[in-house]
Amino acid sequence: MTHSTALLLDSIRVRYGQRLAVDGVSLTVDRGEIVGLLGPNGSGKSTTLAAAAGIIDPFEGTVSIDGVRRDQSANRYAHRVGFVPQEPALYDDLSAEANLQFFGRLYGLHGLTLRDRVNDALFRARLDDRKAARVSTFSGGMKQRLNLAVALLHEPTVILLDEPTAALDPVSRDNLFAVLYDLREQGHAILLTTHHLDEAEHGCDRIAVLEAGKLVACGKPWDLIRAQPVGRAVLYGHSREVLPKFFQKVLKKRVGSGVALEFTGRRVRIAAATQEALGKALAIVLSDGVRLETFRTPPGRLEHLVRGEPTPAAVPEPVPHPAEAPHS
Amino acid sequence: MTDAVRLILTLAAKDWHLFWADRRAALLGFAVPIVLASGFGMIFHTGPTVGAAPKLPLVIVVQDPGPFTKAVVEQLLKSPRVEAEVVTLDEAQRRVGDRRPGVAVIFPLGFEKLAAWTPGVAKARPRVEVLHHPLAASEGQWAEGVVSEAVMKRLAREKMAPITAFTKAEFTDEALTIPFVVETTAVSGSAQEHFNAYTHSFCGMTLQYLLFWGMESGLVLLRERRQSLWLRMRSAPVPLWAVLVAKATSTAAIAVLQVLTTFAFGYAVFGVTIDGSVVGFLLLAFGAGLLAAATGLLVAAVGGTEARARSVCILAILGVSMLGGLWLPSFVLPGWARDLALALPTTWAMRGLDGVTWQGRGLVEVLPNVGVVLGFTAVFLMIAVARFVTSEARRRRGWA
Repeated sequence: MTHSTALLLDSIRVRYGQRLAVDGVSLTVDRGEIVGLLGPNGSGKSTTLAAAAGIIDPFEGTVSIDGVRRDQSANRYAHRVGFVPQEPALYDDLSAEANLQFFGRLYGLHGLTLRDRVNDALFRARLDDRKAARVSTFSGGMKQRLNLAVALLHEPTVILLDEPTAALDPVSRDNLFAVLYDLREQGHAILLTTHHLDEAEHGCDRIAVLEAGKLVACGKPWDLIRAQPVGRAVLYGHSREVLPKFFQKVLKKRVGSGVALEFTGRRVRIAAATQEALGKALAIVLSDGVRLETFRTPPGRLEHLVRGEPTPAAVPEPVPHPAEAPHS
Repeated sequence: MTDAVRLILTLAAKDWHLFWADRRAALLGFAVPIVLASGFGMIFHTGPTVGAAPKLPLVIVVQDPGPFTKAVVEQLLKSPRVEAEVVTLDEAQRRVGDRRPGVAVIFPLGFEKLAAWTPGVAKARPRVEVLHHPLAASEGQWAEGVVSEAVMKRLAREKMAPITAFTKAEFTDEALTIPFVVETTAVSGSAQEHFNAYTHSFCGMTLQYLLFWGMESGLVLLRERRQSLWLRMRSAPVPLWAVLVAKATSTAAIAVLQVLTTFAFGYAVFGVTIDGSVVGFLLLAFGAGLLAAATGLLVAAVGGTEARARSVCILAILGVSMLGGLWLPSFVLPGWARDLALALPTTWAMRGLDGVTWQGRGLVEVLPNVGVVLGFTAVFLMIAVARFVTSEARRRRGWA
């Protein structure tokens, strides 16, 4: 497997109105590598991904795939990108097969090639027996698999996934990562966003941490963890159902301001200063009727990075310029 | 086939499949203009006016018991011009208030004095009261004419018999018939025109529904732009112009199909025919389809939110439909409204369709209408495309 750089973000800066959403981010993603973009809400993860997908143009810096820049050839650039939005970007009233055929044709596929690719995508997404069914009849996991299959149809070099696990249960999440590992083996470069540390820690080859639009750390998960002192107590879990917004607000008030309680789809994250505070918060959440399917409590040493509280002595080394970065 | 054409056809085919994905909604899309046009046609279709003259329904209140008054009332009850009935004053007021019928004629106490009338001798004139519903003023005038005819016939019999060779008994209604014949003809443009209310309704309601279809198509695009589907589209090798051309193509194609289906139904059931140029009709149908598509793109481009766009569109479509003569012939509108309507594409499309259907006009005569409709379409498209290009560029640069 070659480890050449596929995606290169070079000092990109993106503005939303007056707000600087991404500020000088440089990052590379190699073929055969999964990189996780990590950071709290509003840190610029999705904007960075949108810039990589060619959806938004940085006002400074460049984005290129295999040396092809979007501003030089939008068409060639688009053929090299497979973008998977957070919400399934599918036509609910069309069948799975019709969706794949439509998006395949947008990328210039037709005839036997299109037919073979569609059949292959349906097989890989384990939807071949439901290919004629409307997408509106699919479960969330099936939609997410089809969402990914659509992005892979034209065999892009770079695959970009925006919070791909937000709406998935633990089994579907593990299945998704199994697919991503296969794609990595096939030589695709994968960049995904998440704000769940355990996912990044266990699923990604490298982690890039964003905070307020800046890249504050980048490296292999274990290297970043080693650089951190033991930090806050944290729990990652999956609730059985997506909790209503008002209920989420009530729970956040109940656990108090010293505890961070976050919900992303069915995913739950509780972070507290001490194990005792975490235990109390968990007890409140469970007593209020939240049913957790799974949960785990990792050491949480990356918490400092993602919460924006890096210990000065433990800040990782500056990120090398993407063009000069050694390939992992 | 070039890549660009293949891309446009792919995008348009997707819209076509999405339209048919909900079969019931699609069929309703064809049924609604037919139902509307049929309903309007039934309301305004009065049937052939040759033969039996329409009768004015009215009620009569007799407050004077004199013989002259009684004779006039009998004359009215026998008149072929009215469908009259004698009732009390209270009932007359109540029924006129309900417009059942819209007119009442009251012969008050003292009307009998008219029997003593002498030509050329000035005296206080007895009154006849006509009550009418606020929306039946013309029926009131019609009743006035009929009553005048009956009274004057009666007076003529009473006063003229002595100076003629007839006795009063011989002085019958036939002898008092108006000594001339009135011939009435409906004039609607040219000699071969055969006005059919159904034809006008089918033209008007089809055009109105096309605008609603255009709006709906635009709202779908507006909705799509707010979903992750649009992000996927923007990351795909699909230029914006291809999306817009494909959307216009699919919307216009479905619109033309709606026109053809509606008129086919009108022909089969109500005898709606194209008496003029068929090519002119097809050109107008094509132009109206494009106008619907351009309207849709305009909605998607400037609409803001879906709810806001829908409200503004409904108001605009109903306004241009009414002013453009899509509901009722434009001659019922005041002069200023007819002048204003010339600035609307619906007016030109409607006049063109009326022209090639019941007015029997030729291709050359309706070409200006086709041209104006296409002109409006071009303007709408230019505004929509400019707005799309600007807003997408702003989004891409993070300004919006």
